[in-house]
Amino acid sequence: MTINSRNHYAPPWGDASIIGVAGSSGSGKTSLALAMVASLNLPWVVIMSMDSFYKPLTPEQSAAAFRNEYDFDSPDAIDFDVLVDKLRDIKQGKVAQIPVYSFAKHARLPQTTTIYSPHVLILEGIFALHDQRVLDMLDMRIFADADGDLCLSRRLVRDVKERGRDIEGCIKQWFSFVKPNFHKYVGPQREIADIIVPRGIENKVAISMVTDRIQKILAHKSKLHQLELQRLGQAALEAPLSSNALIIPQTNQVRGIHTLLLNPKTSREDYIFYFDRMVAMLIEKAMDFLPYEPGQVTTPQGNMYMGLKKSADVSAVVILRGGSAFETGLRRTIPDCQTGRVLIQTNWRTAEPELHYRALPPNIAQHGLVLLLDPQMSSGAAALMAVRVLVDHGVPEEKIVFVTYLAGRIGINRVLSVFPEIRVVVARMGDDMQDRWVETRYLGC
Amino acid sequence: MASQPEAPSQSVGPEYRPAEEKPTATVSTGVSHENVHILPQTPQLIALLTMIRDKNTGRADFIFYSNRIIRLLVEEGLNHLPVVEHTITTPVGQTYSGVKFEGKICGVSIMRAGESMEQGLRDCCRSVRIGKILIQRDEETAKPKLYYDKLPEDIADRWVLLLDPMLATGGSALMAVEVLIARGVPEDHILFLNLIASPEGAKNFAKKYPKVRVVTAFVDQGLDEKNYIVPGLGDFGDRFYTM
Repeated sequence: MTINSRNHYAPPWGDASIIGVAGSSGSGKTSLALAMVASLNLPWVVIMSMDSFYKPLTPEQSAAAFRNEYDFDSPDAIDFDVLVDKLRDIKQGKVAQIPVYSFAKHARLPQTTTIYSPHVLILEGIFALHDQRVLDMLDMRIFADADGDLCLSRRLVRDVKERGRDIEGCIKQWFSFVKPNFHKYVGPQREIADIIVPRGIENKVAISMVTDRIQKILAHKSKLHQLELQRLGQAALEAPLSSNALIIPQTNQVRGIHTLLLNPKTSREDYIFYFDRMVAMLIEKAMDFLPYEPGQVTTPQGNMYMGLKKSADVSAVVILRGGSAFETGLRRTIPDCQTGRVLIQTNWRTAEPELHYRALPPNIAQHGLVLLLDPQMSSGAAALMAVRVLVDHGVPEEKIVFVTYLAGRIGINRVLSVFPEIRVVVARMGDDMQDRWVETRYLGC
Repeated sequence: MASQPEAPSQSVGPEYRPAEEKPTATVSTGVSHENVHILPQTPQLIALLTMIRDKNTGRADFIFYSNRIIRLLVEEGLNHLPVVEHTITTPVGQTYSGVKFEGKICGVSIMRAGESMEQGLRDCCRSVRIGKILIQRDEETAKPKLYYDKLPEDIADRWVLLLDPMLATGGSALMAVEVLIARGVPEDHILFLNLIASPEGAKNFAKKYPKVRVVTAFVDQGLDEKNYIVPGLGDFGDRFYTM
C-alpha cells in the first residue's frame, strides 16, 4: 500500500438516514418530530420541514393565495424536484442549501438555510410519503394520525396566531382544499407507512419506539465509522511518512522550546509564552504555501524592486477546542485572519470523533490558502473529519495546510492517504496515539 | 546611480513545486563571507520585503510587516547561541533528549532605527535586557561619532544581539561593535541582526570583525552616490516612527 493510491473516507454523515413523517395538517407531525429530536438530543439528528419546498407563486397564484383560493394542500403546490435534489445532497453527505418560504408573502425568500452533516434527517410534511423518489430514499416511514376536529382546531390556532391569517379565510381553505385533499392524497399514505402513530406527542410509547430505532441506526453508523477509521489506520501503518508532511527544521531554538514545552515542570506562564512563539514559527512556515505573483514596487528613493505580492487571501479554521491555543500565534502573524471554527469532540466511550459545530467564512472556497489548526494530531481521526468538512464546503484539497505542534506518523499518513493533496506542517513528530495534552497545558484545564 | 551588478532574479517557492509554477522575483545577492547568514529566500519573506519596500505602504502596515521579518531574524539569530543537552520526561511519560538555552543574552539597539527592532526581540525573549547606543554622523568629519551609550553592567558576560535594520556602509554598526568590544564583549559573542544589507556593508564587517555573525534578511544590489542602499526601502527610522 503506498500513500499515492487514494483511500476513501466515509464520514458518519456520508450515508444519512432519512425518516419521513407524514400526516394531515394539524395532526401533530411537527410536534412529533420535535419530540423525537428532543428525546435524542444529538446535534446530528435534524428536522427538515417540507414547508420550505412550496413552489414560488406566479402573481396570479399569489393573488389567489391572498384570497385563500390557492390550493396549498395539493401535492402540486410542493416542488418535489427541488426536494429530491436536496435530499440526495443530504443523503450523500454534501452541503444542502434549503430554500426559505415566507407564508406572509407566499414567496421563496432570497436567503437559504444550510443543512450539513446530519446522520439522521427527519423529513416532516403532509406529503412526506407521497413522491416515489422520496420514498426510495427513506429509511423509515411514519404516518401521524389524528382526529379531524382536532386537526382543524390546531390548524386554526396556528394559522391565525403564527401565520397572520384571518379566521374566515382559514375555515374557507379547510373546507375547499384541506379536507378534500386529505381524503384524496394524504390519507392514502397510511397504506405505505411503516408505523402509524395516533395521538401525536401524547403517544410516549410510539415516540420511544421510534427513538430506540434511531439510536440503533446511529450506533450502527458509529460502528461503521470506527471500522472505517481502523481500516485507514491499517493502511497508514506500513507506509513511510508522506512527503507532503513538512517537519520544521529542528534547530537549537526549536529543540530548546520543545524541551520547555514537553517538560511538565515548566510553569504555565512560560508554557504559554513559548507555545505562542512556536506557533508564530509554524504559521510563518505554513504561509510559504500561499500563492504569490511578481509585483514591482517603487521605494521611497524612487528605485524599482521586483518582488512578490500575495495573489489570494488566506484564512484559518480552528479545530476546537485544541486549535484555540493557536490563535494568539496566528494573530501575531496575520492579525485580521478570517477564522472559521469547527468543534470536533472525541467520544470518550468509542474514541470516535464527532462534529458538533461549524462556522466557516462564507467565501472560504475562494481562498488561496486555508490553514487548519490543531495543536496535536494523534489518530488523525479528527483531522480527517475536519479536512472532509472543508472539502465538502468547496475548498480544494491542495489549498489546505494542516498545522499542528505534535503529530504521529500513522495519524499523518491516515489523513494523507485520503487527502493526498493537502499538506501538513508539524513542529515535532511524536509517538503514535498519544493522549491529548498540548492544549490542556495551554488552556490550563 | 553608481554602476552595480545585476540583482539576481529567480523563481521562488518550495522545492517540490516545479519551476514554472513558481513566480520569479529579485532575491538576495549572494555573499561569500562565512560570518554573513542570509535568511532562506522563501516566497513569504520576499512578499514581506516587497510590502515594506513599497513607498505606498502606510506606517501601520510597515510596522507590522517589519516586525514579522524581525521576528524571523531574531529566531535565526538565537539559533547561533549555545545550548546544553537537557533530557526531560514528557506528560505522557516518555523521555525527550532536548536542549536548554545556555548563557545570558542582551539586546543592544543602535538608536533610533535599531530601537524599532526591540519589540520583535521581546516577542521572542520576554524580559531581555536592552542597552542603547547613539551614533551620529559628525557634521565636520562626516564620520560616525559615538554620542551616548547605556549598556548592562555585566555585558561582558553576555551574548549580544546588536540591532540595526539597515546596513549600508556599516559605519555606525562597526563603531557599535567597537564599543561592545571595548566593554569586554568577546567578538564571537556578538550577533548583528539586520533587515537589509548592502554587499559593501557585509564586506566591511567580514573584513574588520570576521567573528561577528551578521544575520540579515536580504543583501541588496549596492549603494548609490549618497550611500543609500539600492533599491532599499528609504529611511527605516522615518518610516517606522514618523512618516
